[in-house]
Order: sequence, then structure tokens, then C-alpha cells
Amino acid sequence: MIEKLRTIFVSVLKHEEFEMTDSLSADQVNGWDSLTHMIIITDIEAAFGIKFKLKELNKLNNLGNLISLITEKTGQK
Amino acid sequence: MAFASLEFALFLILFLIAYWFVFNRNLRAQNIFLLISSYVFFAFWDWRFLSILVGSSAISYILGVFIDKTANEKRKNLFVFLGILQGLGMLLFFKYYNFFADSLVELCKLFSVRLSVVELNLILPLGISFYTFRAISYLIDVKNELIAPAKNWIDYFAYLSFFPTLSAGPIDRARTFLPQLENKRVYNSSEFYNGLRQILWGLFKKIVIADNCALITSNILDNYQIMPGSALLIGAFLYTIQVYADFSGYSDMAIGIAKLLGFKVTRNFNYPFFAQNIAAFWQRWHISLTSWMTDYIYTPLSFIFRTYGKAGVILAIMINFVLVGLWHGANLTFVVFGFVQGCFFIPLILTGKLNNRKPVQQIKLLPSFNEFRGIVTTFLLVLIANIIFMANNISQAAGYYQHMFSRSLFSLPGFKNSGSVITMIVFCLVMLSMEWVKRDKEHPLYFSPTKSAYAIYGRLALVFVIAWAILLWGTFGNKTFIYTKF
Repeated sequence: MIEKLRTIFVSVLKHEEFEMTDSLSADQVNGWDSLTHMIIITDIEAAFGIKFKLKELNKLNNLGNLISLITEKTGQK
Repeated sequence: MAFASLEFALFLILFLIAYWFVFNRNLRAQNIFLLISSYVFFAFWDWRFLSILVGSSAISYILGVFIDKTANEKRKNLFVFLGILQGLGMLLFFKYYNFFADSLVELCKLFSVRLSVVELNLILPLGISFYTFRAISYLIDVKNELIAPAKNWIDYFAYLSFFPTLSAGPIDRARTFLPQLENKRVYNSSEFYNGLRQILWGLFKKIVIADNCALITSNILDNYQIMPGSALLIGAFLYTIQVYADFSGYSDMAIGIAKLLGFKVTRNFNYPFFAQNIAAFWQRWHISLTSWMTDYIYTPLSFIFRTYGKAGVILAIMINFVLVGLWHGANLTFVVFGFVQGCFFIPLILTGKLNNRKPVQQIKLLPSFNEFRGIVTTFLLVLIANIIFMANNISQAAGYYQHMFSRSLFSLPGFKNSGSVITMIVFCLVMLSMEWVKRDKEHPLYFSPTKSAYAIYGRLALVFVIAWAILLWGTFGNKTFIYTKF
């Protein structure tokens, strides 16, 4: 899953200057703004075949949260 | 009771003595005292509207409890909806009734239908735009489980009516403010003096810069038809500084007063004129409103439109900024102002420069050429849009543009009172230079701890110069702040 996410991030942000750790958050990454955030979310939804709720996204603080949310969502299916 | 008045100074001194010396032993007693004092502050303005403030507080508090108690998602949504309906209902009625009534009459005229509606002569209740937004964010955050509901009604009521920020913000969020009411405030002398200096700086911006600019700009606006374009450009420049000095001056005073009470209030301005693009400008201008709009309008909208890519973001930004404009009041000029601001974002979105973060650089005295170009371009965009904000109606704004962008732009302004105009421009530049030098600090009179005697004397001298400027050039006489009418 990490590799899949990494591919999405790189394709949207157009650079690889970040490390995929659990504590990675948007404000540490250049170009990760509200626009790219929504594109990343849309791509994740398509790649994993899931749909997020806004409420769930509001609670995300870092990559670790995102991964556990995706795990939870894909597990439910 | 305006901040820049003697009666408020007296109120604040008496309040602080009782707050720190009498009520500081018991947190609950101190919060009750704070709440009552806030209501007294409000009643000085107009006691009749106190009922709306108390009523809105009670309704949103009870709805918050209901939202927390029920597990049913639909019911939670219903309670949030009721809260928004009540808050926005009040706001729409007092702020926008005449605007919508007039627009409806005009619309019906187009279809040859004659309609008569009752024109109400409504006064805008003090702070209604600000406490309504606080209540709405509280309910949505409780529903989304981002915060727990207030532990008791006194804390919640005191949060909505907190007198330093009641009349014109900053719009503090419950998630940062309620915990401060729930925990004992500890007196910290360095924060206290820092607060006093922030009030002083706010007062300087308000009564030396903003109020004196206002004398010149209102004159230019009234006579724009007979003035050369260059004078109108100077007018727009001074107005842009005036709005900033007025509102950020007020905000500095509000934040400073809160510090005297041991509260940390959200920052409202982060030197917006040093922003290098319009997106950065709005991240630094009226921060508490723009972040509110980002959380509750822009983010949900861009989430809904997310499958449309950039077009979806543009749509969300446009709706967001038209609402930001409309928030300022019921006038078509504000709608157009918001629309223009939204349009300024489109090139940034299309080129993917919406939020290009750069690594934090050491603060230098002079900007690089690229930084300077960005700052000047952004300032000019803001200046041009502010003409719509300044005008009383669209045709006046159009006339102002027409006269400004004419050949007389390249002639001498020919002011009758050119001495005071030049003095004012010098004052504005002094203010901006002080802010530029201290742009990594919360306000220019913020001092980091030092033991050097030179630094201490230098700072003392600076504080005295500012105080002296206020006494010498301040416009005294209880002028209200631009933003208390929003």
C-alpha cells in the first residue's frame, strides 16, 4: 500500500522530496496544498476503490492516520 | 464603548483589578465575573440586543448538548441544521433583509410585476456576525467529534460574548478558546506588558494612521470626479493602508486586551502587505475569518467538486470569495469585491502555485528582486480591488476607475492640503517599515528577552515615541472601527 500511495503522491506533487513515514504531514511537503490534497484524495479513492467522507478527512493529521483509514475502508469491503 | 475611548479605559482598569485581585482564587467565580462584564460591555452599546446574544448562546449551547447525546447521525445533522438556521436567520434578518427585499423588488420590476415590501430600518446588533460564526463552528465541530461540548453553560456563554473580541473578532474557535476558560489563568508579567505594548501599537495604527487617512480618503472619494487620476491613485493607496490599519489596529488591541486577561487569542493579521501572491495575502489577512471560511465553506465545496479537478477548485474558490465579500455587508459592491478577489486566484490555480511553500529563510533586511516584484504586484491587485470595497455603489466604483485610469494619472495630484497628504504617506511608510523589520514577530513592539542595557533603553525610547505620536497626532473623539459594522 505504501508504494501505491507513494506513486500517487509523486504523480500529483511532481517531486519525491518527502519520506513515507507515519508522521509525514501535508505542511512538511512542498506543493501539498488544498488543491493537490483533493486530487490526491480523489486518486486514492480511485486506486483503492473506496469513498471517503469529509468527516473522516477532517480528522486526518498525518500519513499514519491516512493509512489506517484506508486499511479500515478496504477491510470493510 | 469603543476601545479607543476613555470610558473603555476606565472600564478595563476596574475590570482588571477585580479580575486578578478578587476573583482569581476561584475559576468559576472568575468566569462568571468575565461573563457579566462582557454583558455590561455589550449593554453600554445597546442593552436591548443583549437578549439576542443571550438567546443565541442558550440555543446553540442546548443544541450542542443534544448533538453530543444522540448517537443517531441524522438527528445530529438535524440539530446542526437548526443551529445554523437560527444563527444565519438572525444574521440574514438584521444584516441582509433590506438588501434582499430591494433585490426582489428590482427583479420583479424586470418582469413587470410591481411588488411592495416593507423597508425596515434595522440597526445591526453589535458583533452578531462574529458570535454567530463562533456558534456555528462550535456546533459543526461537536458534530464532527473534533471537540467535546462545553462542560458548563457559563464557559460557553463567556466564550461567545468574550468582550475583548465581541465587537469585531478575531473569530476564535471553541477548540482553542474553551480549554482556556476551563483552566486557571496564571498571571504572567511579561505577557501582560507584551499585551500593553500590542494595545499601544494597535492604538497607533487606529488613531494615528487609519483615522487620519480617513479624513483624506473620504474627501477624495466625495470629489473623485474633479480630481486627477494621480490623486485618485494616492487615494486608493491611502484607503488600502487605512482599512488595514483600522482593522489590524483593532485586532491588535483586542488581542492585547485578551493578553491582559491571560488569554491567547487567534492571530488575525500576519503582515498581509508582505505577501508575494494573492493566496498568501488572504492567508495573512483577517486570518480568523478566512480560516473559518476555508474549514466550513471552501473545504466541503472542494470535496464535493473533487472529481472536476482544477475547475472544481476554481468553482469552490469563487463561491467562497463571493460569500467572504457578502459577509462584509449587504451591498452589491461587496459581492463584486469578493468575485474579483476570487478571479485573482484563477491564474494561481491554473499554474499550480496556490500554495508553494518555500523553506524558511533567515529574515533579511532587504527583499530579493523576485520577492519585491511579488509584493508590489500583490499590493497593486489589493489596491485596485479595494476601490470597489471603498465605493458606496457600483457606479461610483466604475466612475472612480474611469477617472483614475485616465491621462491625468500622469499629472500632478494638485491636492489643496498637499502637506497633510505627504505627512500621511510618510506615516504609512514608517508604519510599514517598522512592520517589515519585525515581520517575524507578532507585532512590531514585541521584544525578545534581553539583558543588554542599550536594548532596554532603546525599546523604552521606541515605546515612548509611539505613545507620543498617539498624543500628538491621534484623532481623539470616539470614532468607531470600520469592522464593527460588519
